[in-house]
Amino acid sequence: MERPLDVLDVYCREAGLSYGELWLRYFELGGMCAGFELEAFLRGVLAPSEYDHDIIALAINERLVELGGHHAVPYLHDA
Amino acid sequence: MNTDPPRFEAVTNFDGSEATVVLTGSVESAAAFALSATLDAAIDRHPTSMTLDLAKLDFMGAAGLIAVTNAENRLASLGVMLKVQSPSALVNGVVGILELAEKARIDRASPEHGHLGPEQMDELSVSTRRFASSLSTKDLRRVTGMPTDPDVVDGALRLIVELARISMDAADGVSVSLMRHGVLSTVAASDRTIMAMDANQYATGEGPCVDASVEGHWFHTESLDTETRWPSFTPRARSLGIRAILSSPLTAIDKPVGALNIYSRTAETFEIKDQKAAAVFAEKASVILSDARAGVSDAQMATRFQEALRSREVVSLAKGIIMERDGVDAVEAFSTLLHLSLVEGVPLLRRATAVVHSALRSEIEPGSG
Repeated sequence: MERPLDVLDVYCREAGLSYGELWLRYFELGGMCAGFELEAFLRGVLAPSEYDHDIIALAINERLVELGGHHAVPYLHDA
Repeated sequence: MNTDPPRFEAVTNFDGSEATVVLTGSVESAAAFALSATLDAAIDRHPTSMTLDLAKLDFMGAAGLIAVTNAENRLASLGVMLKVQSPSALVNGVVGILELAEKARIDRASPEHGHLGPEQMDELSVSTRRFASSLSTKDLRRVTGMPTDPDVVDGALRLIVELARISMDAADGVSVSLMRHGVLSTVAASDRTIMAMDANQYATGEGPCVDASVEGHWFHTESLDTETRWPSFTPRARSLGIRAILSSPLTAIDKPVGALNIYSRTAETFEIKDQKAAAVFAEKASVILSDARAGVSDAQMATRFQEALRSREVVSLAKGIIMERDGVDAVEAFSTLLHLSLVEGVPLLRRATAVVHSALRSEIEPGSG
């Protein structure tokens, strides 16, 4: 398996989001996983579904856009 | 690639009333809870002494360190000191987490600075190579899952102060000041002189620590002999033998909430590398503070959560409308929303709101949607 999960964590850091804040944003966008599961995804312990991956990617990307960046985290599902 | 969960074991031995807890393997986040429980159970038996044996420990993340700090505090309140055997493993783990081993000038560490001897230096670099790439700052972020008890945060900040002191050549003393309930106070300091340095700044209402905490950017005074910015504080600092100060701001969720202060008895001693190292330590501390939401009240948190609930409601509603309209499942509906949001370059929540509004309009004026 390639390491797309590391990408999430790297960008999460770049976006300056704590796991707590990322979870809130993920939850806002309809994410259903608990905070510890989200953390497990980012740490590469559990693999998220494509759906969850894309919600996490979006949550991070929207923060990057707020900071003047762009949607740097790729989406898995053909959006 | 080895995908087995990291091995961890904590065994408590009681010899009369003297407890020894032997840790084996790696203390990852899940193991940290087990470690907490083991230490708590041992402390519940009111040992007269307690030793933590880390000789067989490969790695301990921040959550584990916090578990140890908590146990240390609990024991201290019972008048018992926690003895740690072979602290080098612990120090290695911490330095690994902080990705600072490369930068840390460990070679200057001598017995007077702790327990790192030359024979541990090799261990340190091995453990760094082994852990730094995969564990790094993630481990500090694991604090998120921990209770946001101020004691826990203070324990983590004390660790950072200690690490900064042993790893920066120019540092004769380090402290962390935090704004709590509108008042700056020292949460962690490497010694009494440093404590007094901070106190003098609070008392005079001026100094690099105060300015960094309030203004949110760093302040560096190369030499207090020529410093003019803080006329009341500077003579007090000089009388305590301090000549140079480097204060980096600490932030919690982008708000300045305190400062990491590095003090030196030598003027013009801080170089660019020290400023960078201080910034890295300050960033680590800021992550901990953000996760603990220091400086953010419960009321603010509750408001933020209500906001999140409202947003989620709108997103769910929009997904429902798309599911009904397009005959798709929730995953496809999210995908549609995501697509619309990306194409139009607007946040998904705003696009979801538009979907809901347009559905409402077509409900009121049939045929116009």
